[in-house]
Amino acid sequence: MLSERDLPLRLIEERAFIDYLGPQDEPWLRVLLSEMARFEGRRRRELAERLAEPLPCEAPHFKRRAAARTLFGLWRRDPGERPPASEPARPTPAALREQIFAEAAAGERPAGAVIDTAAARLGLARETLLELLFADLPGERPVRAPDPPPTPAEAMLRTNLAIAQAVLMRASRVELRVEGGVRPIVRLAKLRGLLCTIADAAEGRRPILEISGPFSLFQHTLLYGRALAELLPHLAWCARFELRAACALRGRLGTVSFETGDPIFPAAPPIPFDSRLEERFARDLGRLAPDWDLVREPEPLRTGETLIFPDFLLRNRLQPQRRVLIEIVGFWTPQYLTAKLEKLRQVSTVCLLCIDEERACALGDLPPHLPVLRFRRRIDAAAVLREAERLTTGETSHAA
Amino acid sequence: MRLTFDRGTLLFADVPPELDLTQIPGVLWDERIGAPRAPARLCYPLVSELRRRGVPVADMPRPTLAPPSEFRPFELRPYQEAALAAWRQAGRRGVVVLPTGSGKTRLALGAIAATRTAALCLAPTRALCDQWAAALAAVWDGPVGRFGDGERVVGPVTIATFAGAYRHMAALGDKFGLLVVDEAHHFGAGGRGETLEMSIAPLRLGLTATPPAPGEAADRLGTLIGPVVFERTVGDLAGRYLAPLERVTWHLGLDPDERREHDALWAVYREARRAFEANHLGASWEDFLHDAARTDEGRRGLSAWRRARRILAYPRRKREALALLLGHHRAQRTLIFVADNQTAYAVAREHLVMPLTCDIGRAERLAALERFRAGELRALVSAQVLNEGIDVPDAEVGIVVAGRMGEREHVQRVGRLLRPGAGKRALAYELVVEGSSECRQAERRGARLALRTRPSA
Repeated sequence: MLSERDLPLRLIEERAFIDYLGPQDEPWLRVLLSEMARFEGRRRRELAERLAEPLPCEAPHFKRRAAARTLFGLWRRDPGERPPASEPARPTPAALREQIFAEAAAGERPAGAVIDTAAARLGLARETLLELLFADLPGERPVRAPDPPPTPAEAMLRTNLAIAQAVLMRASRVELRVEGGVRPIVRLAKLRGLLCTIADAAEGRRPILEISGPFSLFQHTLLYGRALAELLPHLAWCARFELRAACALRGRLGTVSFETGDPIFPAAPPIPFDSRLEERFARDLGRLAPDWDLVREPEPLRTGETLIFPDFLLRNRLQPQRRVLIEIVGFWTPQYLTAKLEKLRQVSTVCLLCIDEERACALGDLPPHLPVLRFRRRIDAAAVLREAERLTTGETSHAA
Repeated sequence: MRLTFDRGTLLFADVPPELDLTQIPGVLWDERIGAPRAPARLCYPLVSELRRRGVPVADMPRPTLAPPSEFRPFELRPYQEAALAAWRQAGRRGVVVLPTGSGKTRLALGAIAATRTAALCLAPTRALCDQWAAALAAVWDGPVGRFGDGERVVGPVTIATFAGAYRHMAALGDKFGLLVVDEAHHFGAGGRGETLEMSIAPLRLGLTATPPAPGEAADRLGTLIGPVVFERTVGDLAGRYLAPLERVTWHLGLDPDERREHDALWAVYREARRAFEANHLGASWEDFLHDAARTDEGRRGLSAWRRARRILAYPRRKREALALLLGHHRAQRTLIFVADNQTAYAVAREHLVMPLTCDIGRAERLAALERFRAGELRALVSAQVLNEGIDVPDAEVGIVVAGRMGEREHVQRVGRLLRPGAGKRALAYELVVEGSSECRQAERRGARLALRTRPSA
């Protein structure tokens, strides 16, 4: 993680603005990468010393420092060259240290004489022996570039992510407006021991998901910073997001915002669908209804004290107020469905439950007029669409 | 009413409708869950307060681990007994201040054995945790838990690094009744105080050789652990329990080329510093660092400062002086303290002295300490590893070539030499470059050391 001092950001009154690297930075990033390539196989310490110095071209100081530190973390430590098989095996540096320092302590001979004797015994030059003495320490090990080495564009995105995460590490809580793919975010947050709550939003705006830790209530703590920063690269896979956080920067709190389109290196893609059934349904519907958008895992909804996470939101592109939440239900009983719909009734958007006829766990008829669509093995996308049309134009007949 | 532990905090349930808990200091209403919440540290004081108000508490978090039992009998020195008694008298909450080498760990073992409750021992580094484990093994055969650096084993007595405890206290906070905080002064500085806030442990023992001066840091320590309940200086214990100390400061010059380079670099730094101070009256060094990084002039100044410090870290005269001292004290066990790892390796190569740095693996470091103890190695050189807590027995001579962290570091370093031995007289050399910033630092260190080595009133 980058330290606070490495961050290219401006604090203006209560707000903090990150100075992201962009395409304009690619020329000096290219120079930086080629400088790093020159140190391939050389000591890590030498590379670190080189990176502390300016580049042979103009480069913004903080951005360069952040990029150098980020890329330095990607360059691996090499286990070191092995001597050719024809040469006699050399002792390891640790064994050499044990031997030589004990020899020096045991006798009265000066250090130079001890080194010369040991070098002669091992058949090494004096300088080689002195090199070998600490060759296993982290700074003395050769470095290797990742394979393939990052392009300037990738270096730019990775540096931006490191900067953004270093800023977010200094937050105690975040406010998130998110659409699509929200469930993995909440899952990850909960896995890290964070609290997720929905705060009321202004009319017409998406609700705010607030993520914080139990102790955040008492003070601005950095205890949850790492967990909060971990969420950031995953947000890149959400259809839309907007994250705001107050971060302790340069001795005061500054509000920083992140949103869809920020040039940040994304996390590995999430599993796109929970099941083949969902995947097939999304594909069928996409082909069938070009005027409707199907958003997977839209924002969570609050019903009383609990959050619910609908599977899909079906939204008409030309009339966005025409929206239907779709839940695909696995095993069910009539009582379960009734209770679920009761809960869903508390939210303002109409809901449609798709139920698997083969997974009914109890006999009994469903109450009439429930927005329920039965299916066997495959959800009928055309039927869903018809139902969505009907539900959002005010018709009231039972679907199934 | 019921109190439950929730990830380092307390939640209240079945609150009588007439009771407004948020009126009690420390309790806040948590909108996120619609219930009152308080830091776990307040568990026992809050229960006392509720009972005082006549509110029945049906359930509350209690240490979930079984207490350790069957410690082998071990003796405490009279001042350790006195410290323990003072701590007990203070309600088993507070900080004990004893010099390095006077047996703070042993005192803590006495506290753990006496309190009969599960204990969590916190130490700043992994090396110190190893030392704690060894000290525990000497008096107790039970399972010792370890937390931090990838280890996650909980036992009736558990040892954790500060960093490990900080990350995992949400899970550990309701398991222990006693917290032992080694090198407790770290928590006065304000970092990671949540570690101690998130534990329900009512019994708390802090150990340090260098307590913070009265002020904000001391107050913070008082809140998190308790007040200083017992204090002895080197002067109090020197002679019988600690070796008497002799300090020698060598003022050395720089060679003309080094002097020229140093002074030129220092002038660049001074200029940048002057420019900053003109606009920021009373600003701190940290403020300067922040500000300097933002301008070309500031960056030049900082870079010049770093290079000048590098010259002072190990100039030719210091090299010569070190060679002379190592030759002179060849028969005695010597610790060499330098400013950075690079200097440690340079000393190691020149004088074939084993370096102890953070780069050297844990097993090799322990082996080197063992060989030093056995007399197979006569000297060790270190930048920071030996600064704090590490148990280095019987080193007679210390040579401080350069330091980075100020007066507290110096007190800790000199403390490495004070373990008593028959007829032992500890000797601490300090190499200082004349006409440089080191002179003022040496004065400050001397004053701090004098404070800690003088007998207390």
